[in-house]
Parts: sequence; C-alpha cells; structure tokens
Amino acid sequence: MKNFEYFEPNTLAEASRLFAEEHAQLLAGGTDLIIGMKAYTETPQSVISLQNIPGLTGITKDSDESITIGAMTKVREVELSEDILKHHTALAEGASEIGSIQIRNLATIGGNIAHASPAADTVAGLLAADAQVHISGADGERTVPINELFTGPGQTVLTPGEIITQFRLPSPASGSHYIKHKIREVMDLAFIGVASAVNVDNGTITDARIGLAAVAPTPIRAIAAEELLKGNEPTDELLTQAGEAAAAASSPISDLRCSAEHRKEMVNVLTRRTLQYALERARN
Amino acid sequence: MSEYSVVGQKLPRVDAVEKVTGAAQYGADVHPPGMLYGKIVRSKHPHANILSIDTSEAEKLPGVRAIITQDDVPSGRRVFATHKVLYLGEPLAAIAATDPDIAEEAAELIKIEYEILPSVQDVTESIKSSAPRLHGDETKDGPNRRSINAKIKELSSDQENNSAEIRKLEVELEKYTDEVYYNISAETHTEAGDVEKGFEECDVVVEDTYVIPRVHQTYMEPHVSVASADSSGKITVWASTQGPFAIRSGIAGTLGIPLTQINVIGTTMGGGFGGRFGVIITHVPAVLLSQKSGRPVRVQMTREEEFLDGRPAPGCVIKLKTGATKEGHILARQALAFWDSGSVSGASIGSTIRVRGVYKIPNIKVDAYGVHTNKSGTAAYRAPGAPQAIFAGESQLDEIAERIGMDPVEFRLMNMREEGDSVPAGGTEPKVGYKETLEAVANAAGWWEREADENQGWGVAVGDWTNGCGPGGVYVSVHEDGSVRIFHGSMDITGTDTAITQIIAEILTVPYQSVTIRRGDTDSAPYSTGSGGSVVTFTMGNTAKLAAEDAHRRILELAAERLNTDQDNLELKDGAVHVVTADPPKSISLGELAAYSLSTTGGPIVGKGSFARQPSTPALAAQIAKVEVDPDTGRTRVLKLVASQDVGFAINPMAVEGQIEGGVVQGYAWAMMEEMQYNENGNVNPGFVDYRVPTSADLPTVESVIVEVPAPNGPYGAKGVGEPPITPTLATMANAVKDAIGIRVSELPIKPEKVVEALKNNGHGA
Ligand SMILES: Cc1cc2nc3c(=O)[nH]c(=O)nc-3n(C[C@H](O)[C@H](O)[C@H](O)COP(=O)(O)OP(=O)(O)OC[C@H]3O[C@@H](n4cnc5c(N)ncnc54)[C@H](O)[C@@H]3O)c2cc1C
Repeated sequence: MKNFEYFEPNTLAEASRLFAEEHAQLLAGGTDLIIGMKAYTETPQSVISLQNIPGLTGITKDSDESITIGAMTKVREVELSEDILKHHTALAEGASEIGSIQIRNLATIGGNIAHASPAADTVAGLLAADAQVHISGADGERTVPINELFTGPGQTVLTPGEIITQFRLPSPASGSHYIKHKIREVMDLAFIGVASAVNVDNGTITDARIGLAAVAPTPIRAIAAEELLKGNEPTDELLTQAGEAAAAASSPISDLRCSAEHRKEMVNVLTRRTLQYALERARN
Repeated sequence: MSEYSVVGQKLPRVDAVEKVTGAAQYGADVHPPGMLYGKIVRSKHPHANILSIDTSEAEKLPGVRAIITQDDVPSGRRVFATHKVLYLGEPLAAIAATDPDIAEEAAELIKIEYEILPSVQDVTESIKSSAPRLHGDETKDGPNRRSINAKIKELSSDQENNSAEIRKLEVELEKYTDEVYYNISAETHTEAGDVEKGFEECDVVVEDTYVIPRVHQTYMEPHVSVASADSSGKITVWASTQGPFAIRSGIAGTLGIPLTQINVIGTTMGGGFGGRFGVIITHVPAVLLSQKSGRPVRVQMTREEEFLDGRPAPGCVIKLKTGATKEGHILARQALAFWDSGSVSGASIGSTIRVRGVYKIPNIKVDAYGVHTNKSGTAAYRAPGAPQAIFAGESQLDEIAERIGMDPVEFRLMNMREEGDSVPAGGTEPKVGYKETLEAVANAAGWWEREADENQGWGVAVGDWTNGCGPGGVYVSVHEDGSVRIFHGSMDITGTDTAITQIIAEILTVPYQSVTIRRGDTDSAPYSTGSGGSVVTFTMGNTAKLAAEDAHRRILELAAERLNTDQDNLELKDGAVHVVTADPPKSISLGELAAYSLSTTGGPIVGKGSFARQPSTPALAAQIAKVEVDPDTGRTRVLKLVASQDVGFAINPMAVEGQIEGGVVQGYAWAMMEEMQYNENGNVNPGFVDYRVPTSADLPTVESVIVEVPAPNGPYGAKGVGEPPITPTLATMANAVKDAIGIRVSELPIKPEKVVEALKNNGHGA
C-alpha cells in the first residue's frame, strides 16, 4: 500500500473541501477502497474518512411512508431493517447477498453505490425502489434519481468533492424481489442481478419497476418491460413478455464469468421469476 | 471393545491449541532482525523474446539493497528467464528492499523490452503444426502413426521382400498427418491384451472426450521463505514446505552449495496438497538475495502470484472409449490423453492408466502426452492425475451402464477386481475393500431405495489410490516424570503429528496428553521423507512404532534389572511395569524407571526408529451424491453427499473424517466451479473473486463412512487417507447431474451456463 495522508473531518463541508483535491478518496467501510489500495490499483494521496460526520447513518421512515437511508449505513443494517424488509424487500435481499456477514458489517450502502460497479448488489433494489440520491458538495446540495447516477463502469455524475449523503425511497412497493445469478452460494459477485417491484391494486398491476445489474455498462431500468406490466393483470404470458422485454433492454458483455448470450437469457428468466415472487408477496 | 486404548480413538489434535490461539508460527511470522523484503519481477506477457533487462534505475532507488537476475545464479541453473519468457508471471529478476513498497516501486523501475510472440494456451491447439513452439520443432507421433511406423520398422529388416507392404503402410501413414504432434513435453504408452479384438467382442461401445481444467491447490498460506546467509556462508532458510529435506537438497543442487551448509527450518504449513515442494519458486530467490545483500530476506507470494507462478494441477483432454458385453462385462478400454504441462515437462501423464480403475478390464491401451502451453509448470495436487483420469473413466462407466440397462452400483460391483486377481503392475491383487466400500456407501446413502423428484438425480463413482512410502527417522525419550517426548523431522500435514503421538502413547501405555512432539530442522532431526503422497502416517507411523518398541525394550530391560526378575515376568501397562506373577502386586512406574536409568550403565530410555520401504496396499473411495438442477438457470444444488473409504485402520477416526470431507469438497469444487482461465494474454482469473473455491454454504454436511480392511504393512493396518477421497468426486458430481437432466456434461466445471447450453441443445427452452 502506498503512503497517504489521512483525514477525519467532522463536517460535510470540510470533507467536501478535502475530497475536491486531486488524488483524494473517501473512506466509508473500506471494503472496496482498502482492497484496491493493497493491490496498488488505488493509490490515493489523501484518504478522507466519513465516520465522524454526524447524520450520515441510520434508516428512518417518514409520515409519508417514504424511507431515508443514510449513505454511511452498514449494508447489514439495511439487510435486517424491518421497514426495508417490509416495504422494499428486494433491497434487503440485495444487501443480504453482499459478501459475508463480516463484510456486510463493514460495508456501507453509500460505498456500494458510489463505487459504481455494474454488479453492485444493492443497486437493482434501489432502482426498483426508484431511489433518489441526495448529494452534498461545495456548491450545495442536489438530488439525482438513481437511474441517472451512473455514467459507466466505476463512473458517476458526482463531481469533485461531491458526497452522497442519503438515499430516499419515495413510496413502498406491494411486493418486490431480488435474485442474484451466481455460481457460489455466498461470497460471489453477481453474474447478473435482477430486482422487480410491483404495486398491485385489486388484481391489477398499477406500477412496476425492474432494476437490472451487470447487464449493461451501468445498472439500468427495464422500462419497456415495466410499461408492458402497468395497468394489466398478471398472467403467465404477460410475465413471459416482460422477461423478454427486459432481456431485449439489456446489452451485456461476454467476459470470463459468462457469455453475453447467457446473461441475456438469465435476464429473461430472472425477470420473470422476480416478478412472480414480487406478485406473490403483493398478494400476501 | 477395541483392543487398543489410544489408537482408533477420536482424540483432539496435538496442534489444536496453537492453531486456534494463533500461536502457531507460519512462514510470514518469521522476522529476523534487519530483514529485507523480496519481490520477484515477472513477465507481463505469456510468450515473448526478452530483448533487454535494465535494472540501473531501480538500483538507484534508496532502500533497494539487492537486485538479481539470471546473471547472479553462479551454477547457471535456470532460476530466472533470460532470452525468452514462456508464461505470464515468469520470473525475470528479484529485488530486496528495506520496505515492501520500495520493492514494489523498484519493480516498476526495471525496464524490460519484450518482443511479443503469439501464445498457445490450449493443448489441442498446441499439438498442431500451426501453433507457436515453446521449445523447438521436434514432433512426436500419435497412436496410429506409432503403430504403423512400428510395423514399417519391423518390415524394414527385410527391405527387399517387404517393399510393397512397406509402401502400402507409408501411404496409410499419410492419412494421419494430424497425428504429427508438436510441443510435446513427454509421452507414455501402455498396452495390455488386444483392444481392437476386445472392442469387436463388445455389444456396447461408447466414445467421448473429457475436458478437465487446470486447478490450483489454493492452500490458505501462499508460498513464503525467509533466507539468511551469514558471513561464513552458512545458510538458514525458514520455509513453508511439505519437505524440508527435499528443499535442502533442492537448494544445494540448484546453487551448488554443500548440503549441510544449508539448514532448512520448516514453519507451520498453511496447507500444501502437493503444491509445496517447489524449490525455485521462493526459496532459491530468497537465498540469492540474502547472499547478495548480506541481510535476511523474506520472499512471500501474493495470491495473484500464486495463480501466475504457483505449480497447480494440470488440466487435460482425455479421449476415452470403452466397450462391454450386454451382460455387463467390460472387455476393452482405450484412452488418448493430452496433459497440459505448461512451459516445462512434468504433468502427471502416467496417471492416465488410472482410467483402468479397480476393474478387471482384459484389454486396455493408453497413449498419453504431456503438451507444452504458455503457462507455469504443474505439480502434484492430492492424488496427482487420478481425479482427472477417474473422472473420464467413471463418467463413461455410467454411460455404458445406462445403455445396457444396469444399475451403476451393480455394474461396478460386477466388474471390480477381487483378491488374487492378477494386477496391472504384476503380481496379484491383495485383499482390498473395493466391494465392501462401494456397498457401504450405497447402503448409507439409501441408494437402493433412492427417490428423485423432477430435476433431481443421483450419482455414484469410485476412485482408487495407493499411498507412497519413504525413509524416516524418529527418536523417543522417556523423562523422569514419566512423560514421553518424540523428536523427528517430518512436517505435520493435517494431523500426522497427532497420529504419531497416538501410536507412541499406545505402545508405551501412557496417557495421550503426556506425550509431546518436537520437530527438528534439517540440521538436527533425522532424515524424513516429504509430507506428500499420503506417506506420513504410513511411513512415520511405522517409524514411530519402531522407536516406541525400541524404548519399550529398554524399559523392560531396566525394570528387570531394578525389580530383580526375568523380563518374561514383566508387562508394561498403564504407564508402569508390572511383575505379572507377583502377589501382592508389584510394579514400577515409567518415571521411576527413567530416573533410575540415569545412573545405570545402559543409560537413559531412548528409542530409535528408522524405516524405509514396505509395499503399500490400494485404498478405495466410493461416493454418492444427490443433486437438484435448476433447468432455467443451470445452477446445481447438492442435496446429499456420502463418502466411504477403505482406510485400513483409522488411527484417529476424527482426523480421517476430516480428510474425507476435505477431499470431497475439493473434488466437488473441481467438478462444479474451480478453473484457471486463460486467454491469449495468459491467466485471467488470478484471484479469489473469479477463481471460485466453495464455502460451507455450498454443500450439505458430508457424511463419511469408514471401512477398515487392514493393510498388511501399515501401522495397525492403516493406509494413507489424504489423497483417495478427491479421486471419485468429479465423476460423482457429473454422474448425478447427468441423472438429473439426462444430459452428460463432459467438460468441467459444470457451470450454470454449460448446463443451460446442454439443455438447450437438447430442446429445453428457457
Ligand atoms: C470479500 C468481499 C466480498 C464482497 N462481496 C460483494 C458482493 O457480493 N456484492 C457487492 O455488491 N459488493 C461486494 N463487495 C464490495 C464491497 O463490499 C461493497 O461494494 C461495499 O458496499 C462498499 O462499501 P464501503 O463502505 O466498504 O466502501 P469504501 O471501500 O469505503 O468506498 C468505496 C468507494 O466509494 C466511495 N464512497 C464511499 N462512500 C461514499 C459517499 N458517501 N459518497 C461518495 N463516494 C463514496 C469511496 O471514495 C470509494 O471510492 C465485496 C467486498 C469484499 C472485500
């Protein structure tokens, strides 16, 4: 690991100022950053810890049913939160898929998203929850919908000094589900990840959101598939069409994990499957 | 009730406390004063000419104390590449610096000019004339060309009369131009009976090609050594190795240093599985760097370096053909195998004959080739070569059983060799629990009443292996407090020190806890064979037994003297010598005898055991798996995994179960997920993110069934237990998946994508 300067600022403003410098990195849980530094793929000259900044952790539910998750909230807390489990099951399931319990006790949801890996396990759930990302920087605060946050693998719209402070999940889903396609039961990275969330009223799908991870340069929403579902009663045929539409929306690559073709096929299979589970949950 | 009180018991391991508390000293814990950090500079290309290596900039970096290249190897033996690199990660130079970051920075400052050459990673490509050559243009003949050329040679003795026949054969030869193999590192050919005739007599003949990937031993502790050369030239090496004595002679041979000028101290080993015997990988560079810098130097591999420059198990491609009668008698089997030996020779091509298995196959022919590719060399991995060959053999047996409509277990039982049958290597088959072991696993798994829901399947396979044997020495001393100390030089490999301790406690009739074991370095301990090939309990167990018996003799001698009676009247029991005829009872404790011994002419109680070779007996592992396959995603879940093994005698049943479970898990991993992946740039998954080893979440509890058919020469009848359990698992898994989905996947690992692909080709839509 290369030598670096280490800071523990107490305010967001101070952290932003330090982070705006060149070759600076934020330290949240460190489970991506430290690994990279040890492998010399990350060689920051300054490392800025977010741990002393108040107000960045915790999960709260507001009177309008919206839920706010602080960026520094441990992934393990997201996984076990009653509110998330109940209203955004797919996100809790995504969080539970990250590494091992030891890793989840360190890793933060902000780090998982800011790292901008197309395969991040909380991202599909956040897409399906239509999360709003709150960002704080030198020029003040702004909010970006999660599906507009990513610009490429490891790339986001964050400008130098900008820090994610929280995620806001505007309204609960009647049912949602996340499936990670993988080889190993735990401690594997997603070959692909699919999260589906539905709102159902009187047997009709009133809203549907499908988040896809590791099937395109950035995580994406399967908008065409969502549109097919909205306003309709869920039939096997409809779900099959939705699966196919989601697959068509994906543009995966072939790599050492699997072929693009396999990824596309799995988007189809897992979209259908996550929708089935989500609808099942909506019924109960 | 067992006739023994210590052997045969599930006792905790002697090293349990030091392992659990973290007190055990591994290689990376060694830190002599003034130690420098070594770093090996590696090739960034899998195949390239080296035009120049310029170390001048790196030498100027403050903190760099030594840089070495092949020019610094006085013996000239190849430690670093000079003109040409043959694999990604091949060592070109090494650095010693005061800090690991400085060493890292210095490595970047070494300028290496490459002329990149096309590389070849696949054995079936490498044998073709179109492939780049690693070592030259020499060719070898494939099986058909070999036999035609042999006939031509025979006929050539009478050129005149046979010229027409010879011409015909020469024309025939032309048909096999694809059998002119390039890049061959070694070959071996075995034949018994007449396979062609054998196949003609068969009702069912099956042919298939099996592809097994290169896998890494993935021991937890990467290679590490600390070397210290003092001003007198004496060299000390702290080495994480399976064989300190082999490392001593290896360093001596490579660097031309007198043998006993080197002392190798074996540090606690974080796993080996056959991959921890290498001399060049870290030990020799550490010694050279220490000699040049005059400071102790540690060379420690990262996990990435392990994947690039470790010595993993070879992958191979086996074309196999088997024939049987409709009654189920296997009559013939023929194999053509290409083993990926990497840049050097040495893949376990001789293991191809293991396609024979434990069956009476009257006609067999095996042609095996080692093939060069642009990868590191290979080494042993738990029963080297056997899992690969047995995967092919046992997969194909199920195909035959299916075609003739026989139960896979019955089919195997029917064809298994029996005591007294002639064996391939000559002589006759000893008593081995082949059938007992297979029957035991079938009964324990519920094979005969097996049920399977949709997409579920059952698989069975057996694998055989025979432990090795080698020289060893052990001393045993009895102290005045009655405790016993063992002294030897063999590395503990997953419980062998425990087994040795149990054997000695048994013979000297003392509590297990009062026996302690000390390992010496190569300067102090008697010679010991390396801890590999399942030899340790067999060899060192026998050696320990001899040492304890020697001490036992001295104990009775002393007691007879002390108690003034004849040795025939004495018995050693519960840590004391008793006069069997005495009434009232009369006895003397071991401690008292040890104290007494100090003032005798004969001297203290020291037992010596020295042992070399005894014939070993084969062991069988038989396994059954039940799996469920998700046909849409291709993921396979193991529902049940039962493993039986003929272990001869289980000196510590708990340790034996541990070995069975470990072997099964590694076999499962090879079948389902492990694979070193390569493209034209070399290895692409040098880390645990994309080289997947299983976790405990992937498998149900492995149920172990111990079968004991004693080995005549093993201590208490014990056989080596470490290697057999990995041998059948690859096929067990493949056979279970086949049973579940009706399609044979003959290329490992059985990844989800392959299953989906296979099902699609068979008309299953997503
Ligand atoms: C063994 C292991 C297994 C893993 N398995 C998985 C897995 O299965 N699935 C998965 O998705 N991930 C996995 N990961 C990756 C990692 O654990 C997650 O991505 C984790 O959520 C990262 O969070 P962190 O708090 O540790 O981030 P850090 O490492 O602290 O930071 C990561 C990056 O995000 C930036 N950052 C952090 N917080 C903020 C913020 N609030 N605003 C702006 N930028 C910020 C940092 O500058 C840094 O560049 C694994 C990691 C390990 C070591």
